[in-house]
Amino acid sequence: MTAEEFKQFVKTNGVKKAATEVDVVTTGTFGAMCSSGAYFNFGHTEPPIKMQRVWMDGIQAHAGLAAVDAYLGATELDETNNMMHGGAHVIEDLVRGKAVRLKATAYGTDCYPRKEMDTYVSLKTVNQAVLLNVRNCYQNYAVATNSSSRTLYTYMGKLLPEFGNATYSSAGELSPLLNDPYYRSIGIGTRIFLGGGQGFVIWEGTQFNPGVPRTPEGVPKRPAGSLAVIGDLKQMSPDFLRGLTFTRYGSSLGLGIGIPIPILDEEMARSCAVTNDLIFTAVFDYSQQTRSRTVLREVSYAALRSGEIDIKGKMVPTSSLSSLYKARQIAQLLKTQIMKREFMIEKPIQNFSLERVFKPLDVRTEKEAM
Amino acid sequence: MKTKVVLNFNPELANQPITNNLIAKHHLNVNILRAEIDEIGGKMVIELSGKADDIRRGIDYLKQNGVGVRPIKEGVRRDDDVCTHCGMCVSICPTKALAYDPKTGKITFTEEKCVACGVCIDACPPRAMEILI
Ligand code: SF4
Ligand code: SF4
Repeated sequence: MTAEEFKQFVKTNGVKKAATEVDVVTTGTFGAMCSSGAYFNFGHTEPPIKMQRVWMDGIQAHAGLAAVDAYLGATELDETNNMMHGGAHVIEDLVRGKAVRLKATAYGTDCYPRKEMDTYVSLKTVNQAVLLNVRNCYQNYAVATNSSSRTLYTYMGKLLPEFGNATYSSAGELSPLLNDPYYRSIGIGTRIFLGGGQGFVIWEGTQFNPGVPRTPEGVPKRPAGSLAVIGDLKQMSPDFLRGLTFTRYGSSLGLGIGIPIPILDEEMARSCAVTNDLIFTAVFDYSQQTRSRTVLREVSYAALRSGEIDIKGKMVPTSSLSSLYKARQIAQLLKTQIMKREFMIEKPIQNFSLERVFKPLDVRTEKEAM
Repeated sequence: MKTKVVLNFNPELANQPITNNLIAKHHLNVNILRAEIDEIGGKMVIELSGKADDIRRGIDYLKQNGVGVRPIKEGVRRDDDVCTHCGMCVSICPTKALAYDPKTGKITFTEEKCVACGVCIDACPPRAMEILI
């Protein structure tokens, strides 16, 4: 069953029956996932080169790895900061089957004498093309609004002045980690739907922060857990992987992730039964240019989905940044794949630690950092 | 007669009573459909109603005062292959031409409601909205 179908089932049949009758619940989300990128192995040139600087369609990829490996970050821009075409767009082009211009320079060594390379590559020509994202699939996220008198352009989209709108980015009750709030079934080794192909959770995501305030049901009310994921780019599809542009912020990767949650017991059934009216998040004023913005109010996803929320007595129209339509599509697809046994469910090899804390970065002396 | 125009002005002009003058001196009714102001300048989508001559004179007056005036004749189109139905545009579209359909989860685009103000163009992350010239 998809997460939405399951919630409906629980409403009519109760948690007990759901726990015994339903094996698996499929979740899904499609949103901007900035902390993403892909690594490549291009193959060796004749004569060989140890690539020191690498550009893919003019966007620099990190080449501080051996010889012909490089990592292209989704938010990387070219020297002119052209936000319409960043690393994420190059990754989308590759997934679309396009050829991409590869340029590399090197200082030359006895074993790798070549100093320059200028050619084209595609997913057909490279050895590996692997999506490797260090922070995806945030468990809950903030709502952004703007109290100032000018339009703000942020990673949360265009924020109109004087509380002109509010944007949010979680898929709410369909979102994977909101259905498994304590990471009981999602952990290292979990097989996932990633960008149209299959991938795996390989670690906790960066900034993993399980200790945030939670509802009595255990659902975090702030950004909490996140996932580091990996998957073969060659399996992916532009339906679920897109280069995005956030005006005056930069580029980002629109990515679809789906995760099956086995209903192990009643407790799992209860957490997967959570609905938008029971999932809360905080509204922040993004005109406050600080890492610790004050919370304007807490709001449920049911209220956000209604299209308007009350901020300081004003009804403010809301926008989702993640596609509910695609999230549903992913949950449905995953359900079909599981039923056809094309998608196997893995138990995590290791669960995440609930002890992690999220630390800031301050200017400190060498001694203070020790 | 009614006509919709997009006004572009620099920040200094933002503080002047330009729309008031349109109403008072040129006998026009001004309906502000959208206003956006930031450090680079401002943009306003207005509907002018009044006599054709007054509208022409009103637009001349705006131009003389350094306001960029672009009549809304062009349409705005959505490329459905590009749209991911994220919904970013929903809260910024002044006319609800872009709206969320709870049944399908999709974002619908109703061309008849669109006034081609263009505020959705740079707000759409995959760049699905385009102005036709
Ligand atoms: S912002 Fe763009 S992609 Fe998102 S729903 Fe609107 S038109 Fe579609
Ligand atoms: S141009 Fe875009 S924002 Fe303006 S009315 Fe049309 S759809 Fe709405």
